[in-house]
Amino acid sequence: MKSRSWSAKTASTVESMVVEMSAQHPAYDALPADLQSKIFEVFEHQGQVGMRCNAADQRTLLEHFRLSQNYDFLVDVTAIDHLGKDAPERFEVVYMLRALQSNHSFFRLHVWLDERLASLPSVFDLWDSARWGERETHDMFGIVFDGNPDLRRFLMPEDFPGFPLLKDYPLKGRDERRQFPKVVARGDRMVEEEPDPYPTSIGRQMHTPDYIEEVRRDSKPRE
Amino acid sequence: MGLESLIGGEGFLTTTVNGLVNWGRKNALWPMPFGTACCAIEMMATFSGRYDISRFGAEVVRFSPRQSDLLIVSGRISLKMMPVLQKIYRQMPEPKWVISMGACASCGGVFDTYTLIQGVDQFIPVDVYVPGCPPRPESLLDAVFEIQELVGEDRFDSGKHGS
Ligand code: SF4
Repeated sequence: MKSRSWSAKTASTVESMVVEMSAQHPAYDALPADLQSKIFEVFEHQGQVGMRCNAADQRTLLEHFRLSQNYDFLVDVTAIDHLGKDAPERFEVVYMLRALQSNHSFFRLHVWLDERLASLPSVFDLWDSARWGERETHDMFGIVFDGNPDLRRFLMPEDFPGFPLLKDYPLKGRDERRQFPKVVARGDRMVEEEPDPYPTSIGRQMHTPDYIEEVRRDSKPRE
Repeated sequence: MGLESLIGGEGFLTTTVNGLVNWGRKNALWPMPFGTACCAIEMMATFSGRYDISRFGAEVVRFSPRQSDLLIVSGRISLKMMPVLQKIYRQMPEPKWVISMGACASCGGVFDTYTLIQGVDQFIPVDVYVPGCPPRPESLLDAVFEIQELVGEDRFDSGKHGS
């Protein structure tokens, strides 16, 4: 279920979060003023700091954390699908950073991502480990990381048609698990029977590169 | 009939060629372990000293399908693994038998999700199922006995599945 009301909600929710952002967290104070304005929430959990930002500022902020702060290790890139939840955008892409050479501290950057864009600039040139993290996130959520040289399927089979961690992907799949030739005995030989054709219910897939191109053309530029 | 006098007091037995060959075959099964999850641990326990599958002649574990005649599927089979399993099954020479060990291999177990095959018997022939999660080594040994029964019913001079 793709609801258009998400975008209507977006602007006001983001605005209110900017206003509500209260704490003068040391990690926030350490940012230069022009980057501070891009952060609309700072939170801390068990000594690990996290910040939230918009998709448009993801690259700038990550460049800062890589080049001007000590975060030399990208632990993981992953995403959360907030479909049907009260969230500013459908996708929340999470970058987990760690400062291995200095104080071993963790840092998380949460990026709100519009489902109609569903793409972010790749950061594989900042951290090599982003290649696989982004690849996995693409495999599971269909989010495209522009510039990543290798966004092939990572965990799922190469010809798998869906993005299984999307909340609107059925838990039991769309019959993919029955699409194998059957090895059956016929006389004294083993023969393969053709698989049943993919059911039409699989239909058109969201978030493929074509899909992204298509939505790019159709969507209005972000303000 | 005077036959006893001809063999000079030695014992003898009569059998059929088929019975003799099958007797040898069923007591020398060469398993191909296909362990993909926790059930494989129980399978290893069955192979090792405490349960000692070699008491029943099935201890020559081959990691090459071309040298095996008993495929033990123990563990979850995912979408990506199923083609591999089929390939390995087809690489085994006839005659061959298959044990589906544990709930996952037999029916998907608790993992009723998009990525897990709900029973390998949908795609390859299975001879014996072993229930349990995981089955005890005794259960796997019992499955081997069942396979031995099946081998005993077989005709050695034709394919396993009749011709
Ligand atoms: S049946 Fe149980 S023990 Fe065996 S592979 Fe499945 S979960 Fe693991």
